[in-house]
Parts: sequence; structure tokens; C-alpha cells
Amino acid sequence: MAEVRLEGLGKSFGTSRAVTGMDLVIADGEFVVLLGPTGAGKTTTLRLIAGLERPDAGSIRIGEEDVTGLSPAERDVAFVFQQYSLYPHLSVFDNLAFPLKSPARRWSAGEIDARVRDIARMVRIDHKLDSKSTKLSGGEMQRVAIGRALVREPSIFLMDEPLSSLDAKLRADLRLELKRIQSEIGATLLYVTHDQIEAMTMADRIGILAEGHLTQIGSPREIYTAPANLHVAARLGHPHINLIKPGLLPCQSMPDGVRTIGARTEHILVEAAASVAQGNGRVDWIEHLGDQNHLHILVDGQKITLLADPYSGFKAGDPVSVSLKQPLFFGADDRRITDV
Amino acid sequence: MNNDTGMIDRAATMAAKATPPRLVRRVRGLSDKAIAWLFIAPTMLLLLVINIFPLIWTIQLSFTNYRANRPNAEVVNVGLRNYERLLTDPDVWIAMQTTAQFVFWSILLQTVIGFTLAYLIDRKFRGHAFWTTVILIPMMLSPAVVGNFWRFLYQPQIGLFNYIVSFFTGIEPSSFEMLGSVSLAPWSIVIVDTWMWTPYVMLICLAGLRSIPDYIYEAAEVDRASPWRQFWSITVPMALPFIMLAVLFRGIENFKMFDMVNLLTGGGPGSITEVASITLKRQAFEAWRTGPSSAFAIILFVAVFGLANIYVKALNRVKQR
Repeated sequence: MAEVRLEGLGKSFGTSRAVTGMDLVIADGEFVVLLGPTGAGKTTTLRLIAGLERPDAGSIRIGEEDVTGLSPAERDVAFVFQQYSLYPHLSVFDNLAFPLKSPARRWSAGEIDARVRDIARMVRIDHKLDSKSTKLSGGEMQRVAIGRALVREPSIFLMDEPLSSLDAKLRADLRLELKRIQSEIGATLLYVTHDQIEAMTMADRIGILAEGHLTQIGSPREIYTAPANLHVAARLGHPHINLIKPGLLPCQSMPDGVRTIGARTEHILVEAAASVAQGNGRVDWIEHLGDQNHLHILVDGQKITLLADPYSGFKAGDPVSVSLKQPLFFGADDRRITDV
Repeated sequence: MNNDTGMIDRAATMAAKATPPRLVRRVRGLSDKAIAWLFIAPTMLLLLVINIFPLIWTIQLSFTNYRANRPNAEVVNVGLRNYERLLTDPDVWIAMQTTAQFVFWSILLQTVIGFTLAYLIDRKFRGHAFWTTVILIPMMLSPAVVGNFWRFLYQPQIGLFNYIVSFFTGIEPSSFEMLGSVSLAPWSIVIVDTWMWTPYVMLICLAGLRSIPDYIYEAAEVDRASPWRQFWSITVPMALPFIMLAVLFRGIENFKMFDMVNLLTGGGPGSITEVASITLKRQAFEAWRTGPSSAFAIILFVAVFGLANIYVKALNRVKQR
């Protein structure tokens, strides 16, 4: 494992700039997640590090070595693709053994066999070693793909939305396993996703990408509680953060120059009002999710959505009084105002 | 829109009125299945008349001594004697061997060259679409045309082929005769067949190569597989079902190959290029031995059918891997 350092990395495809001025250091043994919408440059960043694309600008260092001009094979990285990129005519065993059979390694058959069986146990596919890779289910295929990356002990693991094509239950299981494996072997891992739950639960640090720029990078807590700007604030949190005009809801202290207020559930106080005249809004409707409810409240025609205890007793049509408690303030440039 | 539907409605009503009441009753009385049969009946009838009936008739004739040039002569049922004679006739086996050799060499060359061309075209260099079209031209020509102009190309005195060979090797152009020489005539046919049908094999191989997704190669590249290893462990196994399919199609075609051989050498010199189909034609339409030649046709049919079936089974096994 090694530290990976990107400096001023840039890549364009024709006229569209996929990645611009990317600076990022991934520490040895760190799990970094790049989070962003489609087309933000997440995958391109991964492919640049792997050497599958050549950068137009900037440099990539893995450990002590500048690998910017090297081929993928010379970089010693492992890549897990979004599609299950298994070798379809090979068995699970042979898929896992494929990277080890590279002549650059000179492993004996016995060593390869032992290593493959170890890794197969780790990704829990050891009962299917003899199956053809095409006979596996989606979850099993992705386990093999992850296993094929793990057998190598590369300097960094690059994973491009490896769980996105799986169903929700499997995704949750594999998410936990991936995190377990990563901390077990102390892997350096750069993981790309657009799923905020994956990012929040697995990452040591989250990098938020927008239009090829790294907007902010920090611990999941930091990104969630102290977003640098509106875009970052909107990436995290469920339900989606409420963006409201100042003055719509009562707020104790407000700095100057606020144009937008960002309010998540924990920033909103809702109390039942005795009558419509006493409150400032009313419950529009309630979504029941089982363990929680989504409360949709209308204030002056604007909708505010927040999480609520299912036993809170609110009903659609109830008058409520809504106020803010230390919300996030954003200025005219969409950046967060920090000196409250 | 409204107008259109109105018109269609009116047309339908008119058509219904114009249909004789008896026909209407008859059509209404038919089930869906019967109507379906009514629609496919013409095709079925045509197939029966031009495919199935001749086949059955050939089988029947193969057990007789019938001669098509003496329709009034007495026809005797000879049982299996035609088959017996053919299968013990050394000339027939020589013709079969000639066919097998011809099939083997032309398919080998077509597959190797076709796959190589497909592999090169698949690199997607500048102008690859243009070159694909150029390469496909021979395949689009009629075999009769190809046979005729290669006869000119092979002419020892004026033929381009001899001049090109002489240009590269220094051999006197009129010192060898592609179509007239015992040792060269089989190769002259293999060359023409390869020239004409390699594009076809290339096209199928190209489809196979294009079906391999890029990310498999990228995964292999990251896994430190050399281009050589990528070729043997990804390209070849994944394109193999397509290559086998091309071999199957060409194999069946070449087995019954007739027009090009007939035009180029007519089976000669002597009977050195006499493939089975030429033997068959000589038996049937020169010696007029209709009965025995029918038996020969059936033997060929069973051979091709059997080989193709074995091959298709192998192909399915490869596909299921």
C-alpha cells in the first residue's frame, strides 16, 4: 500500500473538461470516497489514476514514484469496474488467479492456489470456485471482481461504483463487508459513488466533485455539518436539505449577507399550534417509511420536508409553528457563511 | 386524423359490402388457427414443390437404374446396389478426398487471413470503414464472374497473376500454368475461393471481436496481462463461437462448391480437381446415370448434414462455456 498524490490533474474529452485542477492526497491505508452526480468527473479521476486515460495536465504520484506517463500494468493498481468485468470463459478460480499468473510475478502454482483460496474465503465466494463466472448471480460476480482486485496487494484499490448494479439488500451487505475487508488489510482505497449512504458509512474522508472540480474534502461528519457551499450541502442528507429564503421562518441570530438558509431536520423545530392563527404553517402530508416518517409542511406556500418520529401524532392538515435552530447560512456566492 | 380514420372506416365498410355474402360466412366460420395456416400455406406449398418433393424423388430414384436421357426405358428397382457400388468405388473416394482437401485448405486460409484482417480492422484506425468496404468487394461478386475473370488472370501468356508472381520471384511468367498443371490446379482454386470468401469470414469475425466489451481489456490491462496474453485469454476464446460459425458456413458452402471449379478447371486437368460436386455433375448429366448419381447426391447430403450436426453440437458446447 502507498500514498497517492494528485497534483493539478486535468483531462478534457474534445471540448468538454472532465477533470480540472484536481489536487488530492490519499494517505496510506485511507478509504476516500469521491461523491458526485453523473458527469462530475469521478470515473475519469479513477481512470486517470489507473492509467486507462492520459492526463492533459498535472501529475500522479504513487508512493515515491511519478507514474503520470506509465502504462496501467506498470502502476500496480487494482480496478473494480461498475460492470462485472469478469473473464466470461473462465471459472471463478481462474478469474481470481488471472492477475497472479502475470509473468511479472513468478508465483508458483501452489502459492497461487493458496492465495486464491484465502481471498475467496474473504469475499465469501469459496463455495463457487469451480463455477463458470457466467453462472453466478450479480452479487457473486461483484464479489469475484472485488476478490480479483484483492489477490493482488496493489498500491491502491480503485473502485468505480462497484455496488451500483446490485439490489438494495445486497448493496448493504457488501458495503459492510467491503469496509471490513479494507480495515482488515489496511488498504488504500479510492471509491467512486453517487450514493451518499455508501459515502457516509464507508469513507474516512469524502471528496465532493462537481463539474470536474473537487469542491470539498473532509470527514463525513465535516462534510455533513460544515459544507463549504450550497452544492455540497445538497449532496448529503436525507430527506434533501430545505433551502429557504431568510425571513420565511423565525431564526434567533442571523449573520449579514445571507441569501439562502439551508435547514436539515435537526435545524427545524416543529410544535403543534392550537389554531391556524397561532401557527405559521400546516402539515401537508405524511410519508410513512416504517421506522420514520417524512413530514411535509407548507409554510407560506413553500414546502419543508423533515424526518419525524412516527409516534409524534401529527396528522395532515394540523396547524404547526415552525422555527429554525442554528441552520446553515449561505451568502450571495453560494458559499457558507461561517462567522455566525 | 379524424378524417383519416373516417376514410379507413368507409373503405372497410365498402370492402365488407363488396365481399360476397357466401365468402363472408366462410371466413367468419374459420378459427384463428385455420386462418394462420391459410397465410403460411403458399410458402409451405412452394417449399414442398421445390425442396421436399425433389428430395423425396431423388431418394426414390437412388434405388433404381433410371436414366433421364431414356425416359421410356424400363426402370428396375435395384435396391441398395447403387449405394454399394458408390461406396466401394475408388474414384468416388478420390473425389471425396479431393473435396476434403479443398475444404480444409480453403477454410484454413480463409479463417487465418479473415481473422487477421478482422483483428486489424477492429483497431479502428483512420479510414477503417473505407478499407472494410474495399475488402468486402470480392464477396459481392457472382461466382460465375469471379470464375471467368480469374481464368484470364491465370492465363500464362497474358494473365496478371503470372506476371505478379514473376515480378516477386523472377520466374518466367509463361513457364507455369496455374489451371493446366497437375500440381498447381488445386491451389489455383483454393486461391480464388480464398480471395472471394475471406471477406465473409472477416465480417463474421469482426462481429465477434466487436462483441467483446472494452472494459474486459481494461481489466486485463490493469491486471498486468501482456497484449499477447490478452489476445490468447480474451480475444480468441470470446471470438471463438463466431470463428466456428464462419467455419461452419464456409464448410457447408465449400462442400457443395461447384460453379467456380466448373468454370476454372471443370475438374481437370484429368480429374485432379474433381471435387464431389463435379463428379456428381459428370455422372448425372454427362453419363446420364441418374439412379447412381441420385444415390451419390444422397450420400453427400447425409455426409454434410451429419458433419454439420456434430459441428453444431461442438459449437454449442463452446458457447456454453
